[in-house]
Amino acid sequence: MSRVMTLAGREWRSFFLSPVGYIILAIWALMTGVFFISRSFDQGQPASLRAVFELGMWMLLFVCPAISMRAISEERRMGTFELLMTSPISETGVVLGKFLAVMGFLVVMFLPTAVPIVALEWFGQPDYGELACGYLGLMLAGAAYLSSGLLASSLTNSQVVAFLLTMFFWVALAMTARLLPGVLPAPWPNVAFAADPDPRLRDFAIGLIDTSNVIYFVSLTVFFLLATVGSLASRRWR
Amino acid sequence: MADRPDMIVARGLTKRFGKRLVVDALNFAIPSGRVVGFLGPNGAGKSTIIRMIAGFHTPSAGTVEVAGFDVTRHPQAAQARLGYLPESAPSYTEMRVGEFLKFRAKMFGVERAKRKRNIDLAVKRCWLEEVVKRPIGQLSKGFRQRVGLAAALVHQPPVLILDEPTVGLDPTQILEFRGLLRELASTHTILLSTHILPEVEVTCDQIIMIARGRIRAQGTLAELTTAIDRENRYVIETDAPKAVQVVREMKGVREVDSQSIDGAWRRLTIRPNPNAGDLRESLAAAMTQANCSFRELHQQKPSLEHMFIQMIAEAEVDAPPSATPSRGVAA
Repeated sequence: MSRVMTLAGREWRSFFLSPVGYIILAIWALMTGVFFISRSFDQGQPASLRAVFELGMWMLLFVCPAISMRAISEERRMGTFELLMTSPISETGVVLGKFLAVMGFLVVMFLPTAVPIVALEWFGQPDYGELACGYLGLMLAGAAYLSSGLLASSLTNSQVVAFLLTMFFWVALAMTARLLPGVLPAPWPNVAFAADPDPRLRDFAIGLIDTSNVIYFVSLTVFFLLATVGSLASRRWR
Repeated sequence: MADRPDMIVARGLTKRFGKRLVVDALNFAIPSGRVVGFLGPNGAGKSTIIRMIAGFHTPSAGTVEVAGFDVTRHPQAAQARLGYLPESAPSYTEMRVGEFLKFRAKMFGVERAKRKRNIDLAVKRCWLEEVVKRPIGQLSKGFRQRVGLAAALVHQPPVLILDEPTVGLDPTQILEFRGLLRELASTHTILLSTHILPEVEVTCDQIIMIARGRIRAQGTLAELTTAIDRENRYVIETDAPKAVQVVREMKGVREVDSQSIDGAWRRLTIRPNPNAGDLRESLAAAMTQANCSFRELHQQKPSLEHMFIQMIAEAEVDAPPSATPSRGVAA
């Protein structure tokens, strides 16, 4: 376990040694700030970050693939992948370490949204239960996006390909539910609706914790992490 | 010499990529405290063998052990006892040298109490003192190579595998590196993959020659060169015109080639019969008896280079293991 933490720590710190990390932080802070000012920070509006959380899915869709894209592809490109996979740590350990690192970065990314909360507290009485629920939703969705990003990153040594694969997957899920149900045969429209992450995040944004939503994100995360472990292990046989 | 335990043991080690047979049932054992040179042309399968020892690839058949641990069944135990410097010495270029070494030490489970001492020793051994605080990305190729070496040493593993370790070092550093290898050899078992032949001649106790996924020759340098003793030549420089005749009539001499060099001096190159033994004494005696003066007589041992080229040529003639495609069966 200490090796997983060592790996996670190195990976996490590397975000702050490259411009990519700061660019991601800046984009996120800017987008949340703009949404907050334009949609929530007004007289008569409820003291909440609901607007920010509701748009969270779309923002995370751009930001998460950028966080996870280099995790494994960069190791492959630099040749450090061989060093990593010949260290005394299992594939599962490597994937866990990488996952903890990207989740840790996500937490840092959410920190600037404390500023709007201070503003809410200053001008009104925010509902902290709803806020916490919104953050839980963002973390769960982030975990699912990031774990799928790790899988994509393990499949290629190009960061761009990893980014696009991840984004395309989630955009495809959301778009299928919006555009295709009319033309799909019997059970598939329901499958498409169930697979769409957007309404599930909206539930979290209004302070609703639905077990099925939690299970949705957690099971996708676990699935993608396991697939990544399998993808790393497949090098042995190729 | 006391019995040394074998630190790397391969039994029937085989690797296929798809239908392509890359490593073909290798058997070898490397005893503790030896420096073994892994020689072979590009594409011989050296890197694949090394990657199986390091646990990066899993063998298609057969087993490999590092320090007594089967790499497939107990990968982490084996890997913890191995220091591996892959070809091109990869490292995290955004990290500082010191940070990178600390990271590697932690990954290999070096206890906190020992960590600083280990890192300091690795830094000192690889002449990195002046760059410890610099980001690796800013360093020259030679320094990066040394960082990679230090990273392989930092957990003080009993077994070291170095893939092309002197690439990018200047001649002074290569000499220093050889010194370091000799120093490490007292406490480590070292497998050195290279195609720089003089390096092997200088640094290795034992040589394993590989071509087309098979071991073509193995043994000490002396054993290997005597194995091709029939390729010995004797060279005499003489100014006596009848010397050619004298030598040609000697027992054990197969062929004499005469070449004029300067003035009356000629160089005779003598090919002995197989199993003729050492002819130097009898050549000298025959020349003296016949009153032929000569200014030089020496035996020309075949070089490792010579043997290397011959081995590759032989491997090409052999039915190559990878040249048996199964397509066309349906035709």
